[in-house]
Amino acid sequence: MADEFRPYFDALARGILAFPRCGDCGRFHWYPMKLCPFCHGAGIGWEAVSGVASLFSWTIVRHDFDPAAIERYGLRAPYIVALLEFADAPGVRLISNLVEADPDALAIGMAVQALFPAHDGRVLFRPARVG
Amino acid sequence: MIAIVGVGETIPLRVSPKDVRALCLEASLAAIADAGLECVDIDGIITDAGIMPASVPADWMAAQLGASLNFSGNLSYGGAGIVAAPMLAEMAIRSGRAKAVLFYFGVDWGSRPGGPYAFHDAYPAKKLFEKPYGFSAQPAYFGLWARRYMHEYGLSEDDLAELAIAQRANALRHGGGQIKKPLDRETYFTSRRIADPLRVADCCLITDGAGAYVMTSAERARDLRKQPVFVHGVGFASVPVSGDDVFTQPAPLLLTPAAAVASRQARERAGVAIGDVDFTEIYDCFSISCLMQIEDLGFCAKGEGAAFIRERGITIDGDLPVNTHGGLLSYSYRLGIEHMVEAVRQLRGESGAAQVTNARIGLVGGFSPPDYGVAVLGR
Ligand SMILES: [Zn+2]
Repeated sequence: MADEFRPYFDALARGILAFPRCGDCGRFHWYPMKLCPFCHGAGIGWEAVSGVASLFSWTIVRHDFDPAAIERYGLRAPYIVALLEFADAPGVRLISNLVEADPDALAIGMAVQALFPAHDGRVLFRPARVG
Repeated sequence: MIAIVGVGETIPLRVSPKDVRALCLEASLAAIADAGLECVDIDGIITDAGIMPASVPADWMAAQLGASLNFSGNLSYGGAGIVAAPMLAEMAIRSGRAKAVLFYFGVDWGSRPGGPYAFHDAYPAKKLFEKPYGFSAQPAYFGLWARRYMHEYGLSEDDLAELAIAQRANALRHGGGQIKKPLDRETYFTSRRIADPLRVADCCLITDGAGAYVMTSAERARDLRKQPVFVHGVGFASVPVSGDDVFTQPAPLLLTPAAAVASRQARERAGVAIGDVDFTEIYDCFSISCLMQIEDLGFCAKGEGAAFIRERGITIDGDLPVNTHGGLLSYSYRLGIEHMVEAVRQLRGESGAAQVTNARIGLVGGFSPPDYGVAVLGR
C-alpha cells in the first residue's frame, strides 16, 4: 500500500474516521495524494471527523460484478453504494455502503452516520437517528 | 490538412471465435484495402496508450503487416485516443515524417474474464477505497451520476428511455449492429435494473471486435480509391483529476471532463459552428453519459439535454442524428472506433438505410475520463 494511503486505515483501526488536510493551505483533499494538490505542500496531517455525513448520491447495485467482493465482504447484490460529503471535511467525497436503510426512503442530502467498529478496513454508514 | 482514406471493422459479436490480435489485423487489412493501399505503404502507426500496448502492440502489428515505420505514437486510452489520433497523424504527415498512418483498436471484453470491469484495478485508490464497497463497475459509476443528475436537473427515467429507444431505432435501421431486438417504452421499463436508476438498456453492449482507419495528406487522398473524408479539426483536452478521482471527486461532478474544451478546440480549428454539425457520434457508454456529452459538447445548455432530445430529435431523421449506427448502446462497444468508422461512411454517403440526408459535417466525441477527444470530419 502506498504511504499516503496508510494513515486512513491506521485511524480506522483505532475507531477514527480521518481525512488528509494540508498544514499549509488548510484544505482537505481526497483521495490521498503525495503532495497537497492545491498548494503542493508536503505537510499533510490527518484530521478526525464526527462521522456524520450527507448523502450526495447513491445507486443500488443489482448485478454481481465482482466475485471477490462477495467472497471477502459478503457483498451480494442488491446493495446500496453511497457517495457522502462531510460538513467537517469539505472537499472530501467518500464511497461507502449504506446499511439499515429503506431503499425507497433515500434522498439526496439526508444525514447518515458512520458505524463503528470498522471491520476489515471498511466503514459502513446508516441513516442518522433523528434527535 | 489530412484525410481519412480507408476504414475497416470486424462484424461486432458478443463472443468472437478470433482473438483480439486477429480482430485488429482483420480490421486493419480491411481499412488498408478500403483506401486502395498496400500494407507496405503504411509508414506510421498510432493506437491508444492504455489498452493496445498490452494486448495488440504496434510492433506486432507492423511485423504482421510488413510495414517499416517512420512514425509511431500512442494517445490516451480507449475513446479519447481513438478520436484524437488524427492530431498526432497530422503532425507526422505535415512534417513529412510519415505518408500513410494506420490507427487500429480492438477489444475482447466479451470473452475475456472480468471483461471491462477488470480494467479499473489499475487505479490504486479505487482499488483500496471503492472496490471493497462493491463500487467497481462502470454501471455503478454512471448510476451514481444519473441519480445526482436527476436531483440537480429534474431528469426522469422517461428521458433516459427516450435516448436509448432512439439509438436502438438507429441501430435497427443501420442493420450491422450486434443487437437486433427492437426497444420500445414497455421493453425499456421491463428491462432489468443494473445500477439504479440505470437498466440494461441504459448500458453499453459488451463486444469482441476491432476497427481501424488510415490517414494520409489531403493531396494524396484525392488520388486514392475512395472519396476522402477530411479531418477539419481535432481537439484533445484533459483536466487535472486522476482516473482514481474522476467518478466521485470533481466539485462539479456532472460535467463530462474536458468535453467542452476539446469540442471548442476542434470546432475552432475546423472553422465550424456547432449549428453546422449535421450528425454526431458520441461516446455513449451509458444513456446518461451520452445525454451529458450532448450538453457538454455544446449542442445545448447544461441541464437541457433531455429537452433537446425530445424537441430536436436524435434519430437518423431527427434534427441532430446522434449515433447513426446505434452507438455503444445498440451497435457495439469498441470504445468508439466504430464511431470513427461510421462517421466516415456517413460522409462518403455509404450508410445505406441509415444514411443522414446531405451529411457534410460530422462531429465525433471520445471519452476516456479525464481525457476527451473530438474530431470534426467533413467531405
Ligand atoms: Zn495545501
